Amino acid sequence: MATATTSTGRATPAAADGAPAPRRRSSRPDKAAWFFLGPFLALFGFAFVLPIGYAVYQSMLKVERHGPLGLGEPTVGFAGLENYSLALQQTDFVDSFGRVLLFGIVQVPVMLVLALTLALLLDQVSDRWAGLLRASYFLPYGIPGVIATILWGFLYVPGISPITGALGGAAPEFLGYDNVLWSIANIVVWEFAGYNMLIIVAQLKSIPQELYEAARIDGAGPWQTALRIKIPLVRPALVLTCVFSIIGTMQLFAEPLVLRVLSPAITSNFTPNLSAYNDAFANANVYLAAAKAVILAVVACALSFGFLSLVTRKERSRR
Amino acid sequence: MPDRRSVLAWGAAAAAAPALTACGESAGAARLTRQTKRKRGQKVNLVFWTWVPLQKTVALWNRTHPDIHVDLQIVPGATNGGYQKMHASLKAGSPPDLAQIEYHTLPEFMLVNGLTNLSEHGADKLKDEYVDWQWKQCVFGGRLHAIPQASGPMANFYRKDLFERWDVEVPRTWDEFRKAAIKIKKRGGGSRITAFPPTNAMWYASFPWQRGARWIRTEGDTWIVDFNSKLSLEVADFWDGLLQDELITVQPDLQSGWYRSAQTGHFASWLGAQWGDALLRGNAPDTKGDWRVAPLPQWEEGQNASANWGGSCTAILQGSRHPEEALEFAHWLNTDSKSIDLLVAAGYGWPGARIDLEKSALGKRDPFFGNQRYNEVFEESDGQIDTSWKWAPTNTQSFDHIKDAFGRAAAGRGTLVDALNDVQGRVLDDLAAKGLKARSA
Repeated sequence: MATATTSTGRATPAAADGAPAPRRRSSRPDKAAWFFLGPFLALFGFAFVLPIGYAVYQSMLKVERHGPLGLGEPTVGFAGLENYSLALQQTDFVDSFGRVLLFGIVQVPVMLVLALTLALLLDQVSDRWAGLLRASYFLPYGIPGVIATILWGFLYVPGISPITGALGGAAPEFLGYDNVLWSIANIVVWEFAGYNMLIIVAQLKSIPQELYEAARIDGAGPWQTALRIKIPLVRPALVLTCVFSIIGTMQLFAEPLVLRVLSPAITSNFTPNLSAYNDAFANANVYLAAAKAVILAVVACALSFGFLSLVTRKERSRR
Repeated sequence: MPDRRSVLAWGAAAAAAPALTACGESAGAARLTRQTKRKRGQKVNLVFWTWVPLQKTVALWNRTHPDIHVDLQIVPGATNGGYQKMHASLKAGSPPDLAQIEYHTLPEFMLVNGLTNLSEHGADKLKDEYVDWQWKQCVFGGRLHAIPQASGPMANFYRKDLFERWDVEVPRTWDEFRKAAIKIKKRGGGSRITAFPPTNAMWYASFPWQRGARWIRTEGDTWIVDFNSKLSLEVADFWDGLLQDELITVQPDLQSGWYRSAQTGHFASWLGAQWGDALLRGNAPDTKGDWRVAPLPQWEEGQNASANWGGSCTAILQGSRHPEEALEFAHWLNTDSKSIDLLVAAGYGWPGARIDLEKSALGKRDPFFGNQRYNEVFEESDGQIDTSWKWAPTNTQSFDHIKDAFGRAAAGRGTLVDALNDVQGRVLDDLAAKGLKARSA
């Protein structure tokens, strides 16, 4: 596999510690490899390949109705790509992609800049405080999204919210038409900034101290160290968190679902995932929902891999 | 890892499979109801899915009926997960024997052949024990498919103290309602006559229902869709007027902010269903003694028209192995006087069974409502509900469309009239997408 060769291509500390040079690999994995891969493959097949295959299969089916008023015995038939064209004809569904894209373009950078800033600041404070601060920034991630949304909902609903209460007439309509998307963005930033910070912190910790020493000898201050050493070296972590965030954005679901009872501005097709959910569970049309889920997966895949190839191409051209 | 070629081969096989046959997929209930012969003294176990807290009632049944044990399983309420679970179990061929289903969702279950035909099991002879219109909500194709449990006849819950303080008379017609709304806006210091919940399509449906509009009818084998009939739009136009002149506030109902408004007098009345009494009592305890109940405002002076909001029944799902025992339980649950009193205490709604109000727990005076015998208003209301109202077999979606469009209208983007015109087209699309014959009226 491609990733395996690139990762062994780099000298890892373990290999440098005098481990025996790897044997020349045969073209086929041996029995032991299959044994170790077995549990992973079994779970991967069961929890990943099988459901995805089933979703693709279901997306090509439809219900056919018979009898008076269609109340006779229904049957299932082959629909080809009918469900896909039906989904793409629904302007509300197509619009929902525009909505989450807009959401992502604003929310992901804000969240990652915040996560990076927090990580760099944490790197500066003494170890005694770092642990406590790190844990408290990370804490929101430990709260399930649904609970977080309910909590924030209380802060948004006029009449109960202390925020709208304090602001009086100047309070924005958090759940109104123009604002609700950004109220959701706020919840998502609150939930995930700490999590992304932790990934960046882990990468920061792996930067060898010699680089800092060299920088100090060259006369670099904390600003320059951050800008010239730390940020370029946590790039892989930033790329990783960015890909996770893009996927998360496309799958935006729990927050709008929970806020929907409070805000008439959140429609049943507010996000692609919500739209698929409503088709499957409100409208009992799992076949259309499966098609929508496949479309969503393809778009999320294209966006994440598009982003990845964009950043790696830059990396390659820089070398 | 498999190599690229074998992955491609799997992909091709997966893509080809549906073309060959859609086997293993059933569109409706995978198993049909069949009565299992029971030996003398043999104990039967029935599974019952509901979100209504019926623990006490079921415990009473299990104590008094040792042969038929009911296993109560609480599921998420309605479209929050309960119906999804029921649909999945029908499809899998392992449904519970009994299930809680709302009247407006019954056609969706009929569409997947999900309900046992109870007429085949001798349920028709029970007809006289139930309220006629609720019984009819459960009849499809002349056959009974569920046992009525409760409904939500509508009336006007109002704050007597506020109406008196502002010297406003309780409206008897919609004209008077508008006039009262204007007075309250002037004198109420920020309060309004009522709050409009754009998120609640089921609440709204009761107003065209009262007016005599029919959103859905059937004609032969065709569904007739009529959300934008003259009468329906007349009602929408009335509410549009209230919204445009800011005579009412906009607030999603039955959530924490709304309960607070009920308590602070932010709205002075609520057009609500009978089961709303328990909600007000529980969530606005500080207003005890201030509330009263009056009939719904009328379109013409002296009329008595009413409508319904909510209500549900006990269905026996397709695939039960003990429909006769399940029917026995469902009938007991909804007609036994001890059971009804327990249900009333749990706040489940207006009984589907004919009751003697005087003798039932519902007939009591209530200090929360200033010792008014308020259920007399609802008893009257239940008798005046137009019984020909029908729901579409895609009703959950219809409600979603209404919510989406009303949300826009309430935010000042368009009107409720526009919204219903928009919904009309979407409902036609929904029905067509389900493979049903449908047309505009």
